[in-house]
Amino acid sequence: MRKRKISFRSLLSSVKLTIVLLIIISIASILGTIIPQQEADIFTSRLSPGMVSVFRELQLFNIYHSTWFVSLMLLLSINLIVCSANRLPASWKLYRTISVPDETELFRDTPSDRIILVEKPLNAEAARLEGLLKKKYKGISRKDTEEGTFIKCEKGNFSYFGVYIVHFGILIVLTGMIIGFLFGFDAYVEVAEGDSVDKVQLKGKTGLKKLDFAVRCDRFSIDYYEDGTPKVYRSDLTFSRNGTILQQGPIFVNHPATVEGIRFYQANFGTVPSGDAVIGIRKGREKARVVRVRLGTEFDLQGNDGKAKVIRMEENFMRIGPAVKIDIQSAKGKFQFWVFQNIEQIIEENPGLIDRVPIFNPGLFAPYVFSLAMIQTKHYTGLQVTRDPGVPVVIAGSFLLILGFMTVFFYAHRQVWIRIDRQGPNTRISIAGKTNKDPVGLEREIKGLMDEIQKSGVSNS
Amino acid sequence: MINTIILSWVTFIYLAAFVFYVIRMIRGEDIWGRLASATAFVGLTAQTAALILRWMESYKMGIGHAPLSNFYESLIFFAWTIVLLYLIFEWRIKNKSLGTFVVPVAFLAMAFASLSPNIDSRIRPLIPALQSNWLTSHVMTCFLGYAAFTIACGFGIMYFVKSLDRHTGSRSGSMLRFLPARSILDELIYQSTALGFIFLTLGIITGSVWAHYAWGSYWSWDPKETWSLITWLVYATMLHVRLVREWRGKRIALMAIIGFACVLFTYLGVNYLPGLHSYLKS
Repeated sequence: MRKRKISFRSLLSSVKLTIVLLIIISIASILGTIIPQQEADIFTSRLSPGMVSVFRELQLFNIYHSTWFVSLMLLLSINLIVCSANRLPASWKLYRTISVPDETELFRDTPSDRIILVEKPLNAEAARLEGLLKKKYKGISRKDTEEGTFIKCEKGNFSYFGVYIVHFGILIVLTGMIIGFLFGFDAYVEVAEGDSVDKVQLKGKTGLKKLDFAVRCDRFSIDYYEDGTPKVYRSDLTFSRNGTILQQGPIFVNHPATVEGIRFYQANFGTVPSGDAVIGIRKGREKARVVRVRLGTEFDLQGNDGKAKVIRMEENFMRIGPAVKIDIQSAKGKFQFWVFQNIEQIIEENPGLIDRVPIFNPGLFAPYVFSLAMIQTKHYTGLQVTRDPGVPVVIAGSFLLILGFMTVFFYAHRQVWIRIDRQGPNTRISIAGKTNKDPVGLEREIKGLMDEIQKSGVSNS
Repeated sequence: MINTIILSWVTFIYLAAFVFYVIRMIRGEDIWGRLASATAFVGLTAQTAALILRWMESYKMGIGHAPLSNFYESLIFFAWTIVLLYLIFEWRIKNKSLGTFVVPVAFLAMAFASLSPNIDSRIRPLIPALQSNWLTSHVMTCFLGYAAFTIACGFGIMYFVKSLDRHTGSRSGSMLRFLPARSILDELIYQSTALGFIFLTLGIITGSVWAHYAWGSYWSWDPKETWSLITWLVYATMLHVRLVREWRGKRIALMAIIGFACVLFTYLGVNYLPGLHSYLKS
């Protein structure tokens, strides 16, 4: 029983677990790029119903937000914390450099290219070297013994903490993501030119979110380059509350507007009927009359034949084109029918349609025949509306991450020892070094240090 | 346009440099090595000039932007970063054998950009989504990362090639004696991977900041984002097994190659998956 307890803790703190988790998360992420994540019809239709329910059960259509994926991330975070906490004391010890190796041992087999002989008194050399090392290193300590003078110095000992800064940065980023998930929202809304809205459609959830203010689209416009590719999508927006304007101005792609912590992004656009249309009215064999009509406005037919009104206006009704729905009140009764713009073509493609579906017959109110010349349209702008209080936290975490990487990869703890003793008539300077990583870099540094010792020695004499 | 003409010439300069690096490996004469380096340097200089010309030309057309905006320009920039980083490495480690393994990648990228009929080499105006100051920093950091990983992969392949050499030390008669010792290659794989990892991280961060301004979400699990994360996780795993579990040698070399495969998929393969980055389909 006891053994099991220990192994559970050691499991949480093991790098093996980290690696296994990293691999599983990678594979899950790959799956997410292969399986369409919106449960696309084309994909599900290729699977058997059983498979679809298995996929749904395993949340494979929404992997990145599935319980098991989030659990994996959580487990990784715990592993990160436990690992770091377990290793921190050892790093602290290394930082304080409590371990002092036996100095005579360090210089037992000093290679000849690490030795400089000078014809100067030992004490003067020791003082000179101490001054020289002070400029480049810290933690300088000097020890005078019978075997000679030892100077020890070091630099980069803070590099032991780089890895903790990295891990802490990752945890901060994840925290920021959780904050965004809990306290933020992600929504979308379409606003036609001249219209005003204060409710937005939440993404991934059903339901509308009411904002504390209203957003009006004053104008939407597109500019094109000479070759016809779009250059600028621009929405002029006005944000107001109870008639008071809070903010007003254009937004572009890459240039959102922020109002009371909520951001509005240019995400989409399109056209909707503006409410104006041009229709033709022909009575029997008479010449057709062209009338400009407005949605919901009543107009008279000839004499006392009746009153007509356009009650709906669709830019692409039932995906077969522009159409208006006309309502007629007359002595003969009440009539309602659709008038399509391209009625000839529709009849050609669907012979007998207007007999089967009388509501599609533009001549339903005989002897009148209606036709639709055009529907006027206006733009609407599609706005992405988000609030994410986690963003500053994620940014802070990212900075820590980069700072940590710099410390881990570009700095190493380097310790250098210099022994100064007498060898015959000369003073002998020997150098030894130690590093926690990057031995090649240490080699280069010692070489540079030796050059400097020799050069400054010559210039001094 | 003069810049595309220079760039298609640079393709052949890199091919020549590659050939010289190979000859130097086979014959072992130092003159070929110097010729190879000089050729690569001339190619890099010409390419730099062409990139600057292209940049200036776009301003003359009234649609000024850095030449980093479409697939053609990204391939060219990829080749440029590879050769730039390679020459820096060559100068630092004083060994020219890496050129045989890395310069051909730059050549292939250039050749693909110049010769593929599906790639439009004209300067195009920036679509609204790309009109951002983050474009330059995002693309530059990503491709510096990709280039560093290319070099790490080159070292990884060299490691396996070197393993074929049964003789050790400089006494070996085979041409493999020009490759650095395996312990050094192992260290170099680590260093170039670490460099690439920092740039990849910066690339992901700059991309997130940009997405935050453009799409309203710093992370939306779009396939390119996800694959960059996968690549990041693969290299994170590699660094952990090396630093904590003391893996060395063949296993690390293999991971450098696997990591590079992920990089290639992130760069090229993802375009065949649907997503927000798919405007890269030229």
